[in-house]
Amino acid sequence: MMLELAPEDVAFRLNARDWLKANVPAAPAPHEGHPSREYALEWLARLHASGWSGLAWPADYGGQGLSPTRMILWYEEYVRARAPSALDCTFVALNHAGPTLIACGTERQKTFHLPRILEGRSIWCQGFSEPGAGSDLASLKTTGRVDGDHIVVNGQKIWSSFAHIADYQELLIRTEPGSARNKGLSWVICDMTLPGITIRPICNMAGVSHFAEVFYDDVRIPLSEIVGGLHNGWNTAMTTLGIERRTAAMTLQLELSVKIEELIDLARPAPGTAAAEILSDLRAEAAAVRAMTYRTALREPATPFDGSLVRLSYAELAQRIHRTAVDILGAGALAEGPWVHDYLESYSETIAGGTAEIQRNIIAERILGLPREARA
Amino acid sequence: MSYDLTPGEELTHILYAAQSLLDANYPLDRLRDSAHVDGMAPLADFGAFLLSLPEESGGAGFSALEEAHLHAALGRHLLAPTALASTLAARIALETGRDGLAQAIASGETRVCAGVSTRNDHFLFEPDGAAMAVIRTDDGLNLVGLKDAEMEPATAMGHGRPLSRLKDVRSVGNGFKADEETARLHALLTSAQLLGVARAARDLAVDYAGTREQFGRPIGSFQAIKHHCANMAIGVEMVSAQLDMAAIAVRDGREDAAFQTAALARLAPRVALQNARLCIQIHGGIGFSAEADVQLFLKQAHLLRNYLGATDFLSLPSPMFPLAKVPA
Ligand SMILES: Cc1cc2nc3c(=O)[nH]c(=O)nc-3n(C[C@H](O)[C@H](O)[C@H](O)COP(=O)(O)OP(=O)(O)OC[C@H]3O[C@@H](n4cnc5c(N)ncnc54)[C@H](O)[C@@H]3O)c2cc1C
Repeated sequence: MMLELAPEDVAFRLNARDWLKANVPAAPAPHEGHPSREYALEWLARLHASGWSGLAWPADYGGQGLSPTRMILWYEEYVRARAPSALDCTFVALNHAGPTLIACGTERQKTFHLPRILEGRSIWCQGFSEPGAGSDLASLKTTGRVDGDHIVVNGQKIWSSFAHIADYQELLIRTEPGSARNKGLSWVICDMTLPGITIRPICNMAGVSHFAEVFYDDVRIPLSEIVGGLHNGWNTAMTTLGIERRTAAMTLQLELSVKIEELIDLARPAPGTAAAEILSDLRAEAAAVRAMTYRTALREPATPFDGSLVRLSYAELAQRIHRTAVDILGAGALAEGPWVHDYLESYSETIAGGTAEIQRNIIAERILGLPREARA
Repeated sequence: MSYDLTPGEELTHILYAAQSLLDANYPLDRLRDSAHVDGMAPLADFGAFLLSLPEESGGAGFSALEEAHLHAALGRHLLAPTALASTLAARIALETGRDGLAQAIASGETRVCAGVSTRNDHFLFEPDGAAMAVIRTDDGLNLVGLKDAEMEPATAMGHGRPLSRLKDVRSVGNGFKADEETARLHALLTSAQLLGVARAARDLAVDYAGTREQFGRPIGSFQAIKHHCANMAIGVEMVSAQLDMAAIAVRDGREDAAFQTAALARLAPRVALQNARLCIQIHGGIGFSAEADVQLFLKQAHLLRNYLGATDFLSLPSPMFPLAKVPA
């Protein structure tokens, strides 16, 4: 076990630091809508032009194929430079759709989409959740009826982040009539400009519209847009779950170590006070989340489901850090501001991408081997 | 070289050997007798007290990393803090140029117990037969002789393991003060033992949750119990990842060694206490009884937390300070 860098890695780190210093936009990202899309795409294009996009993607697909060590170095420099959040509207394309296409896509799908994603020319969203299918994703009902060389999609998705500013959607639908649960699903590339699609942005509790409802009314999608085979969508969706070990989610985890320093700076607690005790605990946990991020990225062989441990630790710590910020701000928190905005946004941390309760079930059943609970 | 957190072969070997020693000599049920005093001979023979001392000082030449993992294993078996004290005492003796004493301590010939001395309370843990003690005070660690110590037996928390109260703390003198490096090792290894306690509590709880049945099903199928177990696993993972981070930083003399160790020392007692508490809850009535081992974890966590003491963590610079605020 070691955390020692070769001179080339040190040079890489310093190079990243210099580049970020010169290139991180001075203006903060707009919170929503098309300005946020333009901002994110421009930033990604700038990253791409200097060889900083698709870090984890293999070189064959235009990525950088960075080693886990270098991913960590880059992301640490990234968060310390306060570069634009990696959880913006390019996140799904770079960290989910792209890797899924690399793993399961056809040649045509790959050559068309991968460069567009890397170069900052297309935005993707994810259409998995439905009004009746959240934690229980396998109960989804949106259908795709095969009709010649098309599927005809009818139904509704919800909570699809950035759907209203996206070009494409990874859409999970039931293509085999009469199928149940995780059988008979397909993972489809849906062009968001197709006729029959209606998108309604939904405002979140922080007062901004990041996610949307999407309605499909006889939307005709060519069969060639299916990724990973007809009726095999669950497997396609699961493939990408395994990729999450070394994605930009790491930046969020590492960012807590920076945020806690900013909070300590804001609070400046006297030693021995209750505030100092609370901040010390938060700071220690942020250090541990960083250590877990290192471990998840670097330890071989990877232990399956360890991702749940770090993700949940991250999510709950993020919430506590922001709650503490609001406590420290006192009445000042009643007016809008960066900490307050992030505080409200942080409520999603234990809901989006699998709720805290579901993560705990996974930890208990898959890691600790406790008896499974009843399933539908 | 690049970062790699895969445990090496050497570490795996040491832990394997240590585990059979611990199973053979320190089974948990030895503590059903509250007067039991842990003998140190098996550990001394194993070389446990000089594992990370350099070979030219008679040590085994391993690093703080192997030593930390060894102490996590000792923690699982609720070893008396005598093992910690002996390891630290050998270091302090060497630092202060007392090589012969260091040898006597490492070989188990001179027994060294652990103690704490705060403003109002001065305790020694399992002092029977100990010639010296490593006492944690509010301003550091001291190796003291017990020849003139004025002490009396005290009843430990919940009638737990043997404890004595020093009647007059001046009777042991100031002794030799540990340097910064040894103080850091103290925090690292005591935290490692707390991790061991947290792991043991998690495993006992998970075992019980999988076998104890109520309402016709294992209680581990109930989500409330499952989530308690998940919380225990999360705590263990946090502390164990941070332990590696801190142990590597200490081993390599990294700049962030103080920060990483202090973060670990902040986290480890909290998680050990949490897991001990949840383990009791998951066991129901038997968890509350003194006839089962469950309650031992809680008492050990309290003991180790006090041996660890507190540091002013916020005063230490973070390796992740925002770049804009780093002075050029
Ligand atoms: C900010 C944000 C962005 C999102 N982005 C996307 C996106 O881009 N694409 C997409 O497809 N989806 C997205 N989602 C949806 C997200 O995946 C779901 O919200 C999530 O899976 C939970 O589903 P639900 O909202 O239907 O809640 P439910 O599943 O109805 O859960 C309600 C409550 O019941 C609990 N619960 C449910 N089942 C169990 C169980 N078995 N055991 C214990 N407790 C249980 C949950 O933990 C929760 O507390 C997003 C959500 C948010 C908040």
